[in-house]
Amino acid sequence: MTTPDDILRVRDLSTRFFTQEGQINAVSELDVRIERGEVFGIVGESGSGKSVTARSIMDLVESPGRITDGEIWFDDAELADAVGDDYPDAVDGTLVNLLELPERVRDSLRGTAFSMIFQDPESSFNPTLTVGEQLAEAVEVQRRASANPRSTRARTREYSLASYALSTVLPSRKYVTPESRERAIELLELVGIPDPVKRADEYPHEYSGGMLQRAMIAQALAGEPDVLIADEPTTALDVTIQAQILDLLDDLQAETGMTILLITHNLGVIARMCDRVGVMYAGEIVERGTLADVFDDHVHPYTEGLLGSIPDLEGARGRLEPIPGNVPSLLDEEMADRCRFADRCPKAMEDCLEHPPEYPAAGSDHHEARCVLAETTYDETRALSEDHFGETERPAADKHAGPEEPDEEPPEEQSHPPTETTGGEHQ
Amino acid sequence: MALGKFLVKRLLQGVFVVWGVVTVMFTLRAVSPGDPANLIVGEAADPHLREQVREQYGLNEPIYVQYADYLQGIVVGDFGYSFQSGRQVEAMVIERVPATLELAIAATIIAILIAVPLGVISASRRNEPADYGATMFSLLGISTPNFWLGLMLILLLAVQLGLFPTGRRPVGLAEALTALATTGYATGLVVWLKHIILPAITLGTYFTALITRLTRSGMLDELGKPYVDATEAKGLPAALIRYKHVLRNTMIPIVTVLGLQLGTLIGGAVITETVFSWPGLGDRLIQALNARDWPLMQGIIVFIGISFVLINIVVDALYASLDPRVIDE
Repeated sequence: MTTPDDILRVRDLSTRFFTQEGQINAVSELDVRIERGEVFGIVGESGSGKSVTARSIMDLVESPGRITDGEIWFDDAELADAVGDDYPDAVDGTLVNLLELPERVRDSLRGTAFSMIFQDPESSFNPTLTVGEQLAEAVEVQRRASANPRSTRARTREYSLASYALSTVLPSRKYVTPESRERAIELLELVGIPDPVKRADEYPHEYSGGMLQRAMIAQALAGEPDVLIADEPTTALDVTIQAQILDLLDDLQAETGMTILLITHNLGVIARMCDRVGVMYAGEIVERGTLADVFDDHVHPYTEGLLGSIPDLEGARGRLEPIPGNVPSLLDEEMADRCRFADRCPKAMEDCLEHPPEYPAAGSDHHEARCVLAETTYDETRALSEDHFGETERPAADKHAGPEEPDEEPPEEQSHPPTETTGGEHQ
Repeated sequence: MALGKFLVKRLLQGVFVVWGVVTVMFTLRAVSPGDPANLIVGEAADPHLREQVREQYGLNEPIYVQYADYLQGIVVGDFGYSFQSGRQVEAMVIERVPATLELAIAATIIAILIAVPLGVISASRRNEPADYGATMFSLLGISTPNFWLGLMLILLLAVQLGLFPTGRRPVGLAEALTALATTGYATGLVVWLKHIILPAITLGTYFTALITRLTRSGMLDELGKPYVDATEAKGLPAALIRYKHVLRNTMIPIVTVLGLQLGTLIGGAVITETVFSWPGLGDRLIQALNARDWPLMQGIIVFIGISFVLINIVVDALYASLDPRVIDE
């Protein structure tokens, strides 16, 4: 945990939602360490807490959600210097604990320290402003930030109703300056949008999905962020466009050397983009390591299940193996203090009735797994009986793990052992 | 260019709407019982005189000829003569327009000035006391009948406390402004202002309540959209997000309601104008109704119809410039 190159260290992060049904533990005591310049991936099913993790880092968690616990340490010498006097507890060397800072200082990091790409580009742009204007706003944030030394920034960022009212009357008081507009056009060109001068004046509904995602990437780059958080950046796009967007992210990362936190449910995207990966399940990381650790030397049966649910083009593996059961309830009162995957796990043992810590696993130094199998081998005599958790082993017809599962498979097939017949089913 | 085409289309549609209004009004008159000549000369009049009147007003012609004549007249701006006063209808309508417009615009201004800030406060402090207060206010405003509110305001503020004058206003806005320009005295303007406040409040209360609710729910709706998160993630100042992005988008549907309501205010100020003896179109319409003065009634209603159509076109144009997606559809 003391590698000097870490740009972001998340420790014991818990984000909870306080709903009428009760407390939902979306993210529980999460630890993540992201090195400067790497692409770190978080993969998991819907509802595993990966997006909430991203939003917690961005400080975009919405009511009734709240970060209840933890630390988010961000490495920025300038920021540490600026806030060190006012918030000595929040600073450790060049690291700053963002959760100890007041809201307005955290807000001032958005766009310039962290920025984010969202899943659905069509709904993530304001439909009534031109794309160029919206990009120019992001540029303007950066311009104003760099015109101000960080120490005074939080205090001078005041923009009030009066400033807005004034700008509607006086063009010279508009938030967005012509220089920012020009930069916005350059950014559109950078992400490969043809005819950017004309395109800048068009509205989001005049763009295709892929073009709009490019524009969103341009917008996220406008603030020259240290960390780019990409939350399912390709999920809403066609497969061919997905590849283009990933290429673009790849190129931009190589050019700027920025750090990317990539969040996806698609293991293919992870394999293509990431240096290290964390597998998330029910609000915690269950296995983490380099790509080789997770794809080849995985320990956790959940990781195995995820990988088993990817269709294999050669068809050599025969039927896909979905993970039986559903994502567990994250309602506080329904969560037992045991391994959260135990009720769906084919290798659940008596040991799994205790919540496991993260054990170092066999692969590289980075490889860790939250599973007793990292320490012991599977012992059938200690296995839990099939109905230990009651009726939880129902066919998971509605929520599958993993990407692109063919739906034609009838649900009753899923609880059967995989048949030995090969090929011919998924061409 | 796209906007021009859009406007021409709407204008043509508007012509049809006005034609519909004219035709419905004409049919109503044609099928309503009673001889209009009786209204002019009285039932006991000499049959000879009555026949003369019927001839003079074209009442002896077949109905389709009367209809064609009436349409023809309207095209060139001739609405015929009032049965009651014998004056030209268009003159009688136009002289009452300023008072009605003044009242409608004053009510709208009061409504917007109160409702939009109230709605914004309400939405940004959701489920806090300020929000409950605003919601309560709008509930009261929507459910209070106009005529009752008007009477209570007169009773309490004008009669009991003497803060405002009662009775018909002695001076219109145009006269007051002319007086100010020529003599430099603003007394006329002050009198005008004192007279218009109570009716404007009465007329605008329902409207204020409505816009408050629309602003609140529209803004909450808008705040929940993903683009707001994306805008926050860019690091924009909160005030800019709230006003440039969220409030602007909230106002798009509200502009439509505003326009439609302004049309209603012009036509629908009948009760308020009667309660306050406001010398506007509604007041005149009631007189025409009571006297069964068909040409005047028709004239006023066709005028209201035309205003409605024009206001709607303006609103559509405004909508199109606020939301670029409208023209493309």
